[in-house]
Amino acid sequence: MKILVVEDEKGLAESIVDYLTKEGFICEVANTFWQADEKVSLYQYDCTIVDLTLPDGEGFGIIQTLKKIAATTGIIIISARNTLEDKIKGLEIGSDDYMTKPFHLSELNARVKSLIRRRNFGGNNDMAWREIRVQLQARKVFVGEKETLLSRKEYDLLLYFLSNIDVALTKESIAEHLWGDHMDSADSLDMVYSHIKNLRRKILEKGGKDYIQSIYGIGYKFAAS
Amino acid sequence: MKLLEKTSRIYLMVSLVIYLAVGIAFYWIIKYMIYDEVETRLKVEMQDFESFIRSHDTWNNNSYFVENKIEVMPVTGEYSHTVIFKDTLIQNRYDEGISPFRQLTFYTIIGGVPHRVAIRKSMIESYKLIEAISAAMVTFLGLLMISMFLFQRRLSGKLWKPFYDTLTRIKEFDLTKKEKLQLPQSEVTEFSELDDVLKKMADKMQHDYTSLKEFTENASHEIQTPLALINARVEQFIQSKDLSENHTYWIEEIYHASRRMSRLNQGLLLLAKIENQQFTDTEDLDLVDLLKSKLSDFEDILTHKQIEVKMDLRSRFDINMSPSLADILLNNILSNAIRHNYLNGQLFLESDENYLKISNTGSELSTDPERLFERFKKESSGAESVGLGLAIVKQICDNYWLEIEYTYHETIHSIIIRQEMKELAG
Repeated sequence: MKILVVEDEKGLAESIVDYLTKEGFICEVANTFWQADEKVSLYQYDCTIVDLTLPDGEGFGIIQTLKKIAATTGIIIISARNTLEDKIKGLEIGSDDYMTKPFHLSELNARVKSLIRRRNFGGNNDMAWREIRVQLQARKVFVGEKETLLSRKEYDLLLYFLSNIDVALTKESIAEHLWGDHMDSADSLDMVYSHIKNLRRKILEKGGKDYIQSIYGIGYKFAAS
Repeated sequence: MKLLEKTSRIYLMVSLVIYLAVGIAFYWIIKYMIYDEVETRLKVEMQDFESFIRSHDTWNNNSYFVENKIEVMPVTGEYSHTVIFKDTLIQNRYDEGISPFRQLTFYTIIGGVPHRVAIRKSMIESYKLIEAISAAMVTFLGLLMISMFLFQRRLSGKLWKPFYDTLTRIKEFDLTKKEKLQLPQSEVTEFSELDDVLKKMADKMQHDYTSLKEFTENASHEIQTPLALINARVEQFIQSKDLSENHTYWIEEIYHASRRMSRLNQGLLLLAKIENQQFTDTEDLDLVDLLKSKLSDFEDILTHKQIEVKMDLRSRFDINMSPSLADILLNNILSNAIRHNYLNGQLFLESDENYLKISNTGSELSTDPERLFERFKKESSGAESVGLGLAIVKQICDNYWLEIEYTYHETIHSIIIRQEMKELAG
């Protein structure tokens, strides 16, 4: 899976690349508009992550180029601009997702994976990890052979974990993934805790192992051990 | 009142007074001149009479004058030598009518006996003359006034037309659009100066608006990007396997601080944008309907805190505002009402035609309710809150002529939004 990261802030581009490389993606970076424009014209990517504000142009232009050459790549906009107009414009000209800076790398990772899944398999392929299997189309979760009934948030939480296996996730990123970035209160962190507790219980009940490890002060990690 | 109407009215009033005064003055002048003429002739007749008496020393009514134009009566007792003019009415000898006369009375001695002599002259012709002159004058003055009034109206209308054109253009002018203010050229120096000044002002405003808008956008980008970098680096750091508890504590601190700063930055930028009126996309919205759908976003948290929601939504609350601001408004009020609520608390939603009330149970208030809308005023010292939520709410309300009030009564905190009577501009 090849990903192009278009971001002029080198440190941030590096972080994204590091993070996604660990997740098994092959990443390339473009720091300028023209570099990006050239790359998308020459190569094929499964996903393009585009920053809107570039030193020599607007990220919108790259999306337009991608649409013009009818590339099959998925597009995620990352931008500090958080106005509704920018979001609408971004989605209208053909991007698949819009993330406002600062975002969580784990969230970006989850969205990239979800986007690639949607693009490549039309959302039909199932996700499986160890004894846990998720039928994405039907939104069903199986532990071993037994179906586990999860609430909507628990399901989202599980998918978030499955997209970030063996990665430490902060409580904040989980809260924002589940409720969006406007629910940034102390309450949502308590809710994260209670949802994690429920999810863990439900997996254990069906004979699964406890994969959710808590990391002191930071958050949680979904890992084999 | 319109300028034209006002000037017309003033013109009409003033000219009415002036014309009336002129009319009256003319009337008196004519009257004075006619009287003067009649009196001079009466005096001449008096001299004729006296010279007749001096040479004949007798008076016979038939010998000199006709019709009761002279009356000679002997008097007894005291008499003065004064000569008196007066107006009198005397019955006409032929047609029983009463006619006005000017009468000159004097005393003289005829044949050794003092007589009072009254010489009269009919004023009927003179009165007719005065009437005719007055009528002609009133007609002409009236015509003059009306024509001057109409002329002045037309002239003012023409003269002020560039002004009204300018006014219309300014009313249509939208600061947030890119189009420059176009004003019609006027021959009148004052108007062209006004247009120049207005054009300059509009350009300056537009320029300031654009640069402020650019500044907020750039500031947003410039601040959010390093914050994104900090966050990303921290997240990468978190992934390292050999973190001690001490390390995670520090990381947690850095992470929190950067998240807070990012929220603060977003809040301030949002405030600047609202103040700057950058949200121009308005729609007709029903806030009550929006409130209901917004409540479902908070469903999880309400269940989690076991907050009971009581609704008494009797009516719609229609307003024309930017949907994104409406969303922020309700989001901030609701999250505020939930955050400061306690476990098993209550949330009341109430609406009527002209108000929307959101109340919640909560701990006692320690600050002045009015000051809660100020920036960085927070009730709890919780590190999570940046203290901009209600300031943003207030700013949004101010922008849309909404009155907002915070009340606190026996552990119930309420925020009431009312439709303020929109001031009619112009």
